[in-house]
Formats: sequence, structure tokens, C-alpha cells
Amino acid sequence: MRRHGRALAGEPGFALLMVSPGLLVLVLTTTFPLAYLIWSSFQSVNLAMPYLDGFVGLDNYRAMLQDGRFWHAMQLTGIYTVSSVLLQVAIGLGLALLVMQIPAGQWLFRIVAILPIVLAPVVVGLFWRTLMLAPNFGILDFVVQALGFGQVNWLGSPTPALISVIIIHTWQWTPFAFLVFLASLAALPPDVYEAARIDKANAVRRFIHITLPLIRPAIVIVIIMRSMIALSAFAAIFAATGGGPGTATEILNLYAYKTSFVELNFGYGSTLAVALLLITLGVSGVLFHLRTARRT
Amino acid sequence: MAAAADRRDAERLVTRAVLIGAAGALLLLWVFPLIWAVVVSLKSETEVLAYPPRLLFEPTLKNYQDALVGGFSILPSLMTSLIVSSATTVLTIVLAVPAAYAFARLRLRGKRALGFYTLATQMVPPVGLVIPYFLILNRFGWLDTYHGMVIVYLTFSLPFAIWLMVSYMEDIPREMEEAAFLDKANRFQTLWHVILPQVRGGIAVTVIFVFLNAWNEFLFAVQLGGNTVRPVTVAMYNFVSVEQTLWAKLSAAALVAMVPMIVIGIAAQRQIVKGLTVGAVKGGGRR
Repeated sequence: MRRHGRALAGEPGFALLMVSPGLLVLVLTTTFPLAYLIWSSFQSVNLAMPYLDGFVGLDNYRAMLQDGRFWHAMQLTGIYTVSSVLLQVAIGLGLALLVMQIPAGQWLFRIVAILPIVLAPVVVGLFWRTLMLAPNFGILDFVVQALGFGQVNWLGSPTPALISVIIIHTWQWTPFAFLVFLASLAALPPDVYEAARIDKANAVRRFIHITLPLIRPAIVIVIIMRSMIALSAFAAIFAATGGGPGTATEILNLYAYKTSFVELNFGYGSTLAVALLLITLGVSGVLFHLRTARRT
Repeated sequence: MAAAADRRDAERLVTRAVLIGAAGALLLLWVFPLIWAVVVSLKSETEVLAYPPRLLFEPTLKNYQDALVGGFSILPSLMTSLIVSSATTVLTIVLAVPAAYAFARLRLRGKRALGFYTLATQMVPPVGLVIPYFLILNRFGWLDTYHGMVIVYLTFSLPFAIWLMVSYMEDIPREMEEAAFLDKANRFQTLWHVILPQVRGGIAVTVIFVFLNAWNEFLFAVQLGGNTVRPVTVAMYNFVSVEQTLWAKLSAAALVAMVPMIVIGIAAQRQIVKGLTVGAVKGGGRR
């Protein structure tokens, strides 16, 4: 043991040598641009009106707090993230419990579940916009009409558009939750069930009192990972609706993007991106805290 | 008694059938958009606009021909995606594996803080990076260049790869390293001859994930690329906005672009699931 300790402590230079190239690149490629973003958020950087560029202090932040479009985007971000993550967890967990009952067909579910995950989100958005939802073309549009619900302008009117982008995101990422839950369920020791079965606990009670506590770490991890992704969802919404109609699907992420690259107002766009960054860090902080607090 | 047992059996059978039916319906829901894309890609441009959609039609490969060698060829974009994704993958692995080794196996001052820093960089929303990168790369004249794009892609691939590799490095038994020390192997030899062979599988999973994420990336590609560097995701998007209703061609092109990912996904399905679940199943106990 002592030899071991000496061997590890003997060459601190080596550990530094191993870790520094990666960390140096990380600092240069992520932290440096992030610092630049924060700096820009206190500036006026407007490619359309460059003569106004310069330090403006907290002006961008003040403008943001009075910006109705910002609060609307915040609201949409909340609706989009919470509903799509809850749907993913609920459907994913339900399906994983179902599939655990049919051992023979599991391989098929695993294979099919991997398909949406490996597709590029932009392609998913395009497929849904054209093949599934396009008026008088999409197959879903056809089915809904054939069932007598009349024509719904899925991506062209505000509420259906918001529902559509939530469905698209849920469609693509529920398999992720499903696969994680399936793996966690499969890793549970079988004897905990045996004991419960002898006690004649019914299926629902078994689930609530035995399964759920055991896979809670997996559920929390899935919620954390999926929330981070949902907060920064971009390509599928961009391809399906572009944030429209109007601003009906413009979550904060898209608003920051459009402000910068459509309106060329990089200063205010940076401010919005900083707001999204703070929200992301805040949400992850709360979720991580919940995880550790519950376990002890 | 026997009748009651029979009835209970029958009920159980019906419940089971309903459950399997429900699971099967969800399964169909996931695979359907892809199958439908295949169907549409085999239709002619006039056939595709028929409404209600016809299931019986004369299939044609014309769309695939156009997508590959015709006027809408996506081959240059495929090439671009291949170059960007490969370069990103190689650089990421070269940087991430030693860093992960240090995090998992070596004594290092401030390791916890550095590990937390790495994790935090993974949480930065991409839009918070694309804005400063546009201004920075613009100043260097590096917009629409391969090296610019690869640098930007490292921002999401590197933190992820380091963390994934750490979890594989932690699984190696200590005794293997100790045996190597006794043999007076130096640090590099230990890493190269003892550690790396042990984590080959982990490296393979990391390669798959990094390549996949780079191939599917869109936000950086659409804003920081251009006519020289136009990855296939951007080509897809341009297809729809420019060629408003050539949806059969879009389907064919998109399927061609996604086939490598689908093949990798199915072939490495087990490894991908393991990569996805590595933190979750362990209960994230290590952090």
C-alpha cells in the first residue's frame, strides 16, 4: 500500500502533463468565448448600426427586464422544457416497465429506440414539418382529417405549433429515457421482487415501494440530462417552425439566436444568451441539490 | 376452483395482450416517420403530391440518383461532414484520454475542482458559444474554415469525452497498474501498455458518440460555416428552404445522410446504451 501511494504521489508532474493539454484547450475553446459573451452583453454590438457600438453598462439587462418578448420566451421555455421532460420520463418509464414483461421482444425495442436518437435533430424537424404535419401532404394531417377532426394548421397557428414542437422533441428523446430506464430495471437484483411476491404485494405497490426508490437515481439523472438538452433545443424547432408563427414557439434559445443573427444585435443577443446560461446553471444546480439532498 | 383459476389466467392473458399491443403501438410510432420517409423517397415528384397519399405506386430510384450524383448532389456536403467529424473525433480522443486518465487514476492537486470545471463547461448552452464565436472567428477570418469549425466542435465533444472516459478508466482494477509499477514500467509505458488496452471498449464508445454528435450538429454549422464548409445537416435545411416542395428528393437526401448514423446506431446499439446509461445506472455515485 505504501509503495502504491509513493508510486502515485511520486510524479505529480506526470498528472499535470496528462491533464493540461485537454484543460488548456477547454479553457481556450469554452471559457474564453464565454468571457467574451459576458463582455459583449454589456456592450452595444450591432452590425446593423455599428456607429453606436460601445460600452453601455447594464442597459441591455435593463432593456431585457422590460422586454415583453423576453418574458414570453421565458414562459415558452418553461412550458417546453417541463412538458417535454415530464412526457419523456412518463412514457419512457411506462414503456420500460412494459417491455420488462416481454423478455423475448426486448431486442426489437432496443433497436427501434436507438433510431430517433441517432438522427440529426434538424432532419427530425424537417421530416415532421414536411412528411408528417404539412397541410394536405403530411400523413398525420391526413389521418387527423380522416378521423373527422377537420384540418388543423399544425405548424401555422400558435397553440398547435407549440404542441407540435413539444411532440417532436418528445418523439425524438423518449427513447433515451426508455433505454436508460430499461437498463436500470434490468440491473435490479431479482431477489427484491421475490421477497415482495411472497408478501403478496400487488404490482402497483411493488412498483411504488420497491422499484421506484431503487431507480430514483436513474430518474433524477434522466431529468437533469433531458432538462439541459430541452433548455438548449434548437435545430428541430428551427427546422419545423423557425420559432413561429410569429413568436409562438420562440423559446429563449431561439430568441437569443434571432436577435443576434437575424437582427444583428449581438450585444442584446449576448445578454439573452447570458440569461439562458444563468437559467441553465440555476436549474441544474437545483436538480443536483435535490439529488444529493434526497439521498442522505 | 379450476374455473376461477382459468378465468384469472384468461384475464392475465388479456391484460398481457393489451400491454404488448400498447408497447407495439409506441414502437410503431417511433419507426413510422422513418418508414414513411423511405416510402416518400421512392415516389416521383408528381406522385408525392397526390392527396390523400397513395400507398400503391410505381417506385423510382430517381430521387436517390439526384441526391447522389444529380443537380442536388449532397456528396460534397457528406465529404465535409466526414472531414469535420473525423478531425473532431481524433483531436478529442487525443486530448480526452490522458486527461481522463489523470482524473480517474492519478493524484492531482485540485482534481475535484478541475473535474467540476469540466462538467460545468458541458452545460454551457450552444447559443452562448455561437454568438461569441461568430464575432471571434470573424475577426480572425476563420468563419467558413475547417479549422474554425473543428475548434468550435471541441467545445461540446471534449468535456463529454473526458467524463465518459473517466467512468471507463475507473473500472480498471488497481492491481494492473501496481503490477506494471513493480515491473518498473514508466508512466507512459503503463498508460500505453496497461491502461489503453483495458479501455479499448470505452474509447470505441467515445469515438462513436463524438462522431455522431459532430455529424448531427446544426447550430454551429449553419452559422459559422458557409459555402466552403457546409456540413450535411445544413445542406438538408437549405434543401427545404430553397426547393420548397421537392420533398421526395429531401427524403432521399436525408436518408442518405442519416444512413451512416443509423448503421452505427444499430451495429453499436449495446455500446451506445451503455454510454448513455453509464452515469445513470451507477446512480452517479462517483460525482
